[in-house]
Amino acid sequence: MDRTELAELALTEVTALGPAFADVRAVAEDSESIDVRDDRVERATRTASRGVGVRVLVDGAWGFAATADEDGAAVRRTARLAVEIARASGRVSGAPVRLDDTPPACGTYTTPHVVDPLTVPVAEKAEYLLRATEAARTVAGVSFVEGTTDAWRRHTVYRSTEGAAVAQTVLQVGGGLAAFAVGGGEVQRRSYPTSFRGQFVTGGWEEILALDLPGHAASTAREAVALLAAPDLPVGAATTVVLDSSQLAMQIHESIGHPLELDRILGMERAYAGGSFVRPDDRGRLRYAAPLVSVTADATTRNGLGTFGYDDEGVPAGSAPIIADGLLVGFLTNRETAALLGGISNGTARADSWGSIPLIRMNNVSLHPGPDEDVDRADIVADTRAGFLLSTNRSWSIDDQRTNFQFGCEAAYEISHGQLGRLYRNPTYAGRTIDFWRSCDALGGARDWRIWSVPICGKGQPSQVARVAHGASTGRFRATVGVR
Amino acid sequence: MSRYGAERLFDLAVPVLGTDEADGVEVVLTRDRTALTRFADSRIHQNTDRSDGQARVRVVRDAPGGVRVGVASTNRLTPDGLREAARQATAIAAATRPAPHFGGLAAGGLAYPKAGRDDHGTADCPPQRRADIVGDLLRGLSVGVAGAGVVETTGSEMAVMNSHGVRAYHVGTRAMINILATGADSAGYAEGVASALDDLNPVVLARRADDKVRLGARPREVPPGDYPVVLESGATVVLLHRLAQAFAGRAVRDGSSPLAGRAGQQVCAPSVTLVDDPLSPLLPGSPFDAEGVPRRRTTLIERGVAGELTYDAATARAVGAKPTGHALLPPNPLSGQPTHLLMDGGDADLAELVGGVDRGLYVTRFHYTNLVHPVRSTVTGTTRDGTFLIEDGRIVGGVRNLRFTESVLAALTAVEAVGRDGEVVYERFFGDAYAPPLRLSSFQFTSTSTH
Repeated sequence: MDRTELAELALTEVTALGPAFADVRAVAEDSESIDVRDDRVERATRTASRGVGVRVLVDGAWGFAATADEDGAAVRRTARLAVEIARASGRVSGAPVRLDDTPPACGTYTTPHVVDPLTVPVAEKAEYLLRATEAARTVAGVSFVEGTTDAWRRHTVYRSTEGAAVAQTVLQVGGGLAAFAVGGGEVQRRSYPTSFRGQFVTGGWEEILALDLPGHAASTAREAVALLAAPDLPVGAATTVVLDSSQLAMQIHESIGHPLELDRILGMERAYAGGSFVRPDDRGRLRYAAPLVSVTADATTRNGLGTFGYDDEGVPAGSAPIIADGLLVGFLTNRETAALLGGISNGTARADSWGSIPLIRMNNVSLHPGPDEDVDRADIVADTRAGFLLSTNRSWSIDDQRTNFQFGCEAAYEISHGQLGRLYRNPTYAGRTIDFWRSCDALGGARDWRIWSVPICGKGQPSQVARVAHGASTGRFRATVGVR
Repeated sequence: MSRYGAERLFDLAVPVLGTDEADGVEVVLTRDRTALTRFADSRIHQNTDRSDGQARVRVVRDAPGGVRVGVASTNRLTPDGLREAARQATAIAAATRPAPHFGGLAAGGLAYPKAGRDDHGTADCPPQRRADIVGDLLRGLSVGVAGAGVVETTGSEMAVMNSHGVRAYHVGTRAMINILATGADSAGYAEGVASALDDLNPVVLARRADDKVRLGARPREVPPGDYPVVLESGATVVLLHRLAQAFAGRAVRDGSSPLAGRAGQQVCAPSVTLVDDPLSPLLPGSPFDAEGVPRRRTTLIERGVAGELTYDAATARAVGAKPTGHALLPPNPLSGQPTHLLMDGGDADLAELVGGVDRGLYVTRFHYTNLVHPVRSTVTGTTRDGTFLIEDGRIVGGVRNLRFTESVLAALTAVEAVGRDGEVVYERFFGDAYAPPLRLSSFQFTSTSTH
């Protein structure tokens, strides 16, 4: 059976049991991952995963069952199990779950691309990475170099008892380079274009070629070597920090994206991933950030890792303002939580596989560029009397209400009277969410803005890993540096 | 999930073990069913059941300068599914450069110890029973206290076979219950993990979480700084997990381990003995790793002295060591490092640990910890769900949560006393570990939270 036949078989079976609502996702995902180190391929893997997930609402309580066994009898059994689970949920239920009034969607979507990354031979990809690692290894003092590329192709057929009928194929691809310099009890890493396996986008293999990993390898390696000889960023007090756009993307992720997920705000994640300091009635009232700051959750951003046609509840992709001129104006919602606030979903329900339920997940939660299109990082540095420029994420942590954060970066440069000065290693900065965002007094313009990826966002039980993105430009804030 | 059993899994794999295009083939087959009932705001809000599997085929071809290796995986556990995975793995092997550090396939004829437990009541736990346990948990809370958490049951099978004669099979179960109790301005958390659901007591867990809500009401703020601390098992486990990568041969090779070159040296307090033991009855475990290498107890730190390191085949080969049974299915980044940690308990009960503190903090649990500096084993994170002030040897009330930034080895050097009654605790990404509560003479808190 193909995906459509499987989805319709499951929907037919579950509909006969009379739930108030049911939806089915039949998913086929193929993926590939290649790791090279120095002059060799460390790992090259292809993975295929297929299955069917059935979600039902019976007497206002949820049930979900999923199987990788695509035999017809197994799919029908799974549909019946979902109903049995929902009935069990009813033993400890609260107010009945109601869904919003999103009209059922019908349509198809495929990620725009030139070359499907899974059609490119492994050898061709590996040689591209090896050209980069070999170029980096020409730099004296480099200890080892790693190159990586990953790709996913997910085909989903969605059906619901409300009549939704969606088919979409999303292509995601990533690549990156990391040079390491080791010595004297230190390991310094410099990454290009960003850390943790690089930059990920929706699109084709051409996006990874456009990163030009070989062309940036030597400069990346030189920075790793320079970091090894640099001093630690001194322990300091509150000061001015200029964050490059990739680090600011991580800051958006942890201190805007997660705290504005409505399921967290309502306590649904409290025991595990944590809650949020934001309350439902803060919408329209809470001055979250400086007036310079506006944020939108947009599943249509070109090449964003969180770009798709429909979410996993069949809601068409859209764009929703979250923070407007510093004021909190919206949350990330799904059909269940949006209904609780009397609205409709903004299409952020996503599951990491056929075997997982959709949760509220970020799509492309992006900071708008600053007002002057031509302002870039150099302009912001030139406009800064004293502080530090911090670049590329190395570590992250934030408390369970999303207020108290601490980040580590790969590199920091001192800023003195508008000039970049000394390089420091092991930089960290820390602060509190609202204080930090309210301190924003400079943002790069549209030319400085870029969509960055976070491909390993964890949430939910059983734990799910989402691939999301954040657009950002260079930003200037107040924070405490050098915590250790 | 009906079990396939060893013979059915072996029969699936055998046709792809011997192909003319390969000099060696390894097949790892897994099947698992995880059912998880999740509650929040004192109602079940998510309730899931997933049955999945995986066949991972690794093909090895001899080549000048080493071997070529290709890997492909599928969750179609059918003859066609495995044939397709083998075809893809063979194609990848043909297309890649020789791998000089390939660790080799395990040799056949190995004996495997016993590990874990197979409890049918856990593997086949119906959703009604999980819901009733949620009811038991919530009934254990005081009026006005809300509950959130999970009841999870898992049954899994794993088989490893290769063309060198390895035939390994394991079936096991795991259960977890946790509860977060939340009051107006305080919270408490308790958790249990075991190989069988019947070994967990929801009433006891609910009471522990509920007690902390009352004890922590109207929390005060204490300034950041160095404090003596008492860490519950859950907090200890998080620190141990963050140190685990230091024992991996890979970290030693890359220079990121704080233990590189320190075997036989005193690295922390003499009261600290830490092992990795997948065979312990305390932990859900399996008797072999993802390469079919038998697992065993590995002594990582003995009375404060650095001991053995851990390897998968590739990292062992890279440094001239032998595999220690620590391979995980890729792309798991934890492969090669210990994932079944147990720290030896001491002789102090919890009251004695607290009784030894003049003024300090009591920590139930840490949140969102991350390595800041691997070579210094520096970690940051925050406290959550039950942080208390200790004065004159007793807990006097709750405090707002704090951020810590501290070296794990420094913390383990500051161990003054080790508790008697350890617990198994789960940490996301890392898995289950057993640790006792600890009293440390000093622990560095660097800032405060607002709650």
